[in-house]
Amino acid sequence: MTEFLKRLLRTPQGAIGLVLVLLVLIVVIFGPSLAPHDPESLKPLARYKGMSAAYWLGTDQYGRDIFSRLLIGARATVTMAVLATVVGTLAGAVIGTTSAFLGGRADEVIMRTIDAVMSIPSLLFALLIVNLLGSSTANALVAVAIAFAPGMARITRSVALSVRKQDYVSAAIARGESASYIVMREMLPNVIAPIIVEMTIRVSFAVMLFATLSFLGLGAQPPAAEWGLMVSEARRYMHLSAGILVWPSIAIALVAIGFNLLGDGLRDALNPRT
Amino acid sequence: MADLQQPPVLDIRGYSLDYEAPNGTFHALKDINLSVPRGEILGLVGESGSGKTSLAWSIMRYLPKNARETAGTILLSGEDLMKKSVSEIETMRGKRISMVFQDPSTSLNPTLSLGTQLSEVLTRHRGLTRRQAWREGEAMLARVGLKTPAAMMQRMPHEASGGEKQRVVIAAAFACNPECILFDEPTTALDVITARQILDLFVELQAETGVASLYISHDLALVARTAQRVAVIRRGEIVEQGPVNAIFAQAQQAYTRELIAAVPDPRRRLVETRPDVSGDALVKVEEVSVHYGRTGFFSSLTGTRERVTGNRAVSLDIRRGEILGIVGESGSGKSTLAKAMTGLNRFEGRIWFDGRPITGLKDMDTAYRKDVQIIFQHPDASLNPRQKIREILSRPLKLYGSAAQLDQQIGDMLERVRLPRTHADRYPHQLSGGEKQRVAIARAFASRPRLVICDEITSALDVSVQASVIELLLDLQKQSDTAYLFITHDLNLIRQIAHRIAVMYRGDLIEIADAETIDSPDRAEYTRRLIQTVAPPAGATHPSS
Repeated sequence: MTEFLKRLLRTPQGAIGLVLVLLVLIVVIFGPSLAPHDPESLKPLARYKGMSAAYWLGTDQYGRDIFSRLLIGARATVTMAVLATVVGTLAGAVIGTTSAFLGGRADEVIMRTIDAVMSIPSLLFALLIVNLLGSSTANALVAVAIAFAPGMARITRSVALSVRKQDYVSAAIARGESASYIVMREMLPNVIAPIIVEMTIRVSFAVMLFATLSFLGLGAQPPAAEWGLMVSEARRYMHLSAGILVWPSIAIALVAIGFNLLGDGLRDALNPRT
Repeated sequence: MADLQQPPVLDIRGYSLDYEAPNGTFHALKDINLSVPRGEILGLVGESGSGKTSLAWSIMRYLPKNARETAGTILLSGEDLMKKSVSEIETMRGKRISMVFQDPSTSLNPTLSLGTQLSEVLTRHRGLTRRQAWREGEAMLARVGLKTPAAMMQRMPHEASGGEKQRVVIAAAFACNPECILFDEPTTALDVITARQILDLFVELQAETGVASLYISHDLALVARTAQRVAVIRRGEIVEQGPVNAIFAQAQQAYTRELIAAVPDPRRRLVETRPDVSGDALVKVEEVSVHYGRTGFFSSLTGTRERVTGNRAVSLDIRRGEILGIVGESGSGKSTLAKAMTGLNRFEGRIWFDGRPITGLKDMDTAYRKDVQIIFQHPDASLNPRQKIREILSRPLKLYGSAAQLDQQIGDMLERVRLPRTHADRYPHQLSGGEKQRVAIARAFASRPRLVICDEITSALDVSVQASVIELLLDLQKQSDTAYLFITHDLNLIRQIAHRIAVMYRGDLIEIADAETIDSPDRAEYTRRLIQTVAPPAGATHPSS
């Protein structure tokens, strides 16, 4: 493990990504106790304030402290994005590996279905699911997870196809192992490296997809401190104070960049040949 | 032959090479002293990882970024190659020094025709026009023994066989009459018969042009037949060098003697047991055919089927406790049969196992799987890199029987294949190639099978490791009376260990003969050719050399 960390820290992408993601994690865990103000207390006299000692990042249209709202909103935004990505990725990985293992007609059927699902843009697809299930945070999570699964399945399948030809899979078949053992224990661990890399990159997509859903009013509902929602609400007031829009946007961008860099670093660290 | 008056063409003095690895410096070559005069073939023999290919790349001046040359000089006709600039080296490569690689299918560009690739060398280094180069290329191809040079020039690499491609590569290497040619295992990727032809061609061209050649190989027998002098390299150091006959007759170093002794010799039989011929055969393979390729949707509608045949109606039987060898070139259907018998390929026909008919996958139940085990060629590929040895070995126990006292059983299995018990906690990549293959053997023997199929299990290993793995297999066979189906392309090896040998050619079973009488003159024509082409084992046991 320490060896792995060393490899990860050797590349600048890995080191910066790790630091950013750790920072985000700290905010997610300790954010609410660090917040200097109540994120929902309205102060009509302190609206559209710039940066100051009392309000580090200024205040929004209702006089709420932006910094506190960001700290508290991290939990909802980042946790949801990570959860949705993990669920979607795992589902996709299992589908893709199974498809590669089965091969032949079954593979055709699974992959063509996946193609059909993929042809619908993921945002549209997520909207459809949220509309069907009703708008709530949990449903938004399900929607994003389902929207991610097909792409993941495709990537996993292409990696799993080369694993399928390896002799250890043949050996397992010749030994009479069950299909589920071969997929879960023999094949999945060997395709996991590209999946993890792809997953970290997709976390940033998920943050943005959630932000979009909230922006459209289908994810988190006001007055929640979700970052995407904050951006969407700030849109109308940005000519009064740019900070309301800029800070949550920067927060989203930092998370996206952090996970992206970590993904790049992981890709190099997980490949023992580099 | 060798002209001793002139300075040697290739002269390496005190050369050392290090690789900077993340966990310290690795000394790849230490104080190498070699010289190849004009007209001589110097064989460089060593096991994998001994640094022989590193040396070839140092001479070609094509080293990875983490390589550090710490000492020594490399001289080509008296000029120091290490002091040349990149552009000087580029004009020299192909013109004064060239190289033939192991695998012709990867050393030729698949998107360019053979003629384009050959004439490029000529236009670049001899300044010919394209038309002249093309004509010259045709002449070259005729010289390397290709029957239709003009047509061959037009072909793409995938339209030529492995042997033909290697001839083209050799033609390109000889194209500019270089002073020195490096051969890096040029016949390892080829079939025995093709390899023999390529080798003959090489010796002939070499004698004709008098080029100084460095012939790198792991195969002592092969080097003994081509080279005049041999250098044995071990862990980056030249252990011993001298004339071929002297080395083989009276090697000075223990390592060289070990290496020579490990080369399989058909006259030294390693099995004394005789299989029980009285009872029924353990396995009877009846008219088993295997076809590859899936029928497409449209062709199944129209009824046209294009299938590649892997096996054509193969029938053979294996008795209890017998070692049946199967030999043949690559693509002869040896492995296809093994895969059919283990349910990895669909087949037509019937297999009788211990009196029970097996017609397809559905008949291969746990009892059959338990009795029939397979070991694959590459231990790297057949052991899951993400599983510890413990998990790898626990699977057959869990599938076929008692998973009680798992750790105890796994330890016993490791000891049976002469590995320490502590290896259970390691990952496959922490073991050497031979150790990995031992783990694969332990896994196959865990279920106490009655038939073990060994699919080229030693061909990825070095000779000395091969000898110890074979010894282990024979010991296990003596203890358990398991029957082996031993698939290999190494005729010398199989003649040492098999009771009977089956010869396959292009999917057909040519014949089955007793191992002791396989070289008798009344064998089938193909068998005789195969026996003839295999390099006679060299060494002290060889009275005629």
